[in-house]
Amino acid sequence: MSTILECKHLTKQYHQGDTTVNALQGVDVSFNKGEFVSISGPSGSGKSTLLHIIGSLEQPTDGDVILDGISLRNESRRELADIRLNRIGFVFQAYNLIPVLTAAENVEFILQLQGVDRQARRARSGELLKQVGLEGLENRRPGQLSGGQQQRVAVARALASHPAIVLADEPTANLDSKNSDELLALMSKLNQESNVTIIVATHDPKVIAHTRRHIVLTDGNIETDETRAA
Amino acid sequence: MLAGLAWRNLWRQPRRTLLNVISIAFAALIMVFLLSFQMGTYATMKENVLQVIDGYAQVQPTGYQDSPDLKKTIADSDAIMKQIETVTGVATTAPRTTTFAILSNGEKSVGAAVLGVDPEREVRVSRLNRSIIHGNYLDREDSNAIVLGAALARSLGVEVGDSLTLLGEGLDGSIAADVLTVKGIFESGTPELDRQLSEMPLARFQEDFAMDAAVNLIVVTGPTLAGVLDALPDLEPLLNDREVELKSWKQLQPGLDAAINLDLNTSLMWYASMVIVVVFIILNTLLMSVLERTREFGVLLSIGMRPGKLGVMIWMELSLLALLGLLVGIGLGCVVTLLIGHYGLELPGAEAIFSQWGLPGRLYPRLSLLSISAGPGAMALCIFLAGILPYRRVRRLQPVDAMRAA
Repeated sequence: MSTILECKHLTKQYHQGDTTVNALQGVDVSFNKGEFVSISGPSGSGKSTLLHIIGSLEQPTDGDVILDGISLRNESRRELADIRLNRIGFVFQAYNLIPVLTAAENVEFILQLQGVDRQARRARSGELLKQVGLEGLENRRPGQLSGGQQQRVAVARALASHPAIVLADEPTANLDSKNSDELLALMSKLNQESNVTIIVATHDPKVIAHTRRHIVLTDGNIETDETRAA
Repeated sequence: MLAGLAWRNLWRQPRRTLLNVISIAFAALIMVFLLSFQMGTYATMKENVLQVIDGYAQVQPTGYQDSPDLKKTIADSDAIMKQIETVTGVATTAPRTTTFAILSNGEKSVGAAVLGVDPEREVRVSRLNRSIIHGNYLDREDSNAIVLGAALARSLGVEVGDSLTLLGEGLDGSIAADVLTVKGIFESGTPELDRQLSEMPLARFQEDFAMDAAVNLIVVTGPTLAGVLDALPDLEPLLNDREVELKSWKQLQPGLDAAINLDLNTSLMWYASMVIVVVFIILNTLLMSVLERTREFGVLLSIGMRPGKLGVMIWMELSLLALLGLLVGIGLGCVVTLLIGHYGLELPGAEAIFSQWGLPGRLYPRLSLLSISAGPGAMALCIFLAGILPYRRVRRLQPVDAMRAA
């Protein structure tokens, strides 16, 4: 399998008053195309920071991220926005859908930002919402959907632009057990069908159990990186 | 796409948006009405003052305005009038002679301004003939007739049909003397004119004051003041090499121009204060809305929206709010102005000031493109410019920091 994402000696330091916090301490890790990876670790271990840096939402203090052959180190804010738009999908813990847009419009929004024409947008959002099991709910606004349904819309939105990777930060944290299971089954299915790389930061053992590769972070370092046999 | 999203965002807090729209609309309404009212009043002032005697413009001998003198004359007035009347915007012209003389009735003598006028032309440039309260205005058959202001007639103790004596100095230094019959008494509405002014036939004046066919000035008028003002640049070349100069209404009535400017400038300061207050209210609300939605902006940046586009979206929200408020305000302002323009507005207690500027007791606002667009336009500009503040704030947001915002 080809490498889609490479983290080279990622270091991140925060300053809180006079104290320096080392969120990441030289993390080296690669991800292959089509992998479904979970990253876990105690609070403050650096999971979210790693995800943010991979997603170009934050810059590392040192090191580099190579995504699909592109170094994120020296890109401008505008170029990073374009990279996020075209190559990265995000699923957040709190769903983070745009409340004034319908489910279909939330999915289409990404495509609109890409300049995709109306007809193609409609077709793609319809296809994705069908894939995530929300057929018939396209015209509902987030406030009219359950938490599980909102997270499914978020997954559909993350996949809308055919990204190279999907980053999910605690995607099941706000869901009940049933909805968590359904979401994980959906993500596994989409991972296999679309061959998209999915990286999930999580505390949830169920999520970890769904992924073949599991990385444990402790104090900003990779403690274990295990891949289970298929 | 951005406009649609901005529009929906506006209506997330309908009550807040409505309050903002009402604030903008109310300010726009007030500005449209008050500007229309001012413009209407200024136009009435100008028309009433200028149509009484001065006309919209005058051709005068060089230096006549600063130092009026019977000896400063225009020799070829007929030719000049013919040429001027060919210019678009000018309707008619009228020649005048003018001097100061002594008018006497028995033992009563009063110094007065005496104008020699061509009655047929004069009625087309001046409304004095419509201000006659006793007797009649001059006509082409009149020879030794004179019309007087009411206060002047009272000072002389004359009535219609009485005779009075005119005594002055002719163009050649001779004594100009005549006996004239009072044909009419006018009340122009301008006390100063009613105290000082008299008019007699031009031919008789020229004969009395040994002027041959010379005149002292040519009054220029047209269907509208604006039309004559527009025509002035075309008139200038016609007057070259004739030792005359063209005077616009502002030069003829500098006091009126200054009064209008003073009133307008005072109002502008008031309008500016109102615009600033409204802009700050709107800006405050928008900044509050931006703060409330910082987390959402972080999400939008995370999913790939460019910071500039996000800033444009916020700016559009402000612009749409302003546009909505201004359209409502302009619409209501036009309705209110048209209604009051139809019935008029009485301002009790201001009669003395009104009569000074020839204003009637009831004032009528006049809608114009300027009165509709100036206030709301200034407001729109200020609101759009104020939008730079939230635009800049949003553009500087970092996705992670924004998403961490409470």
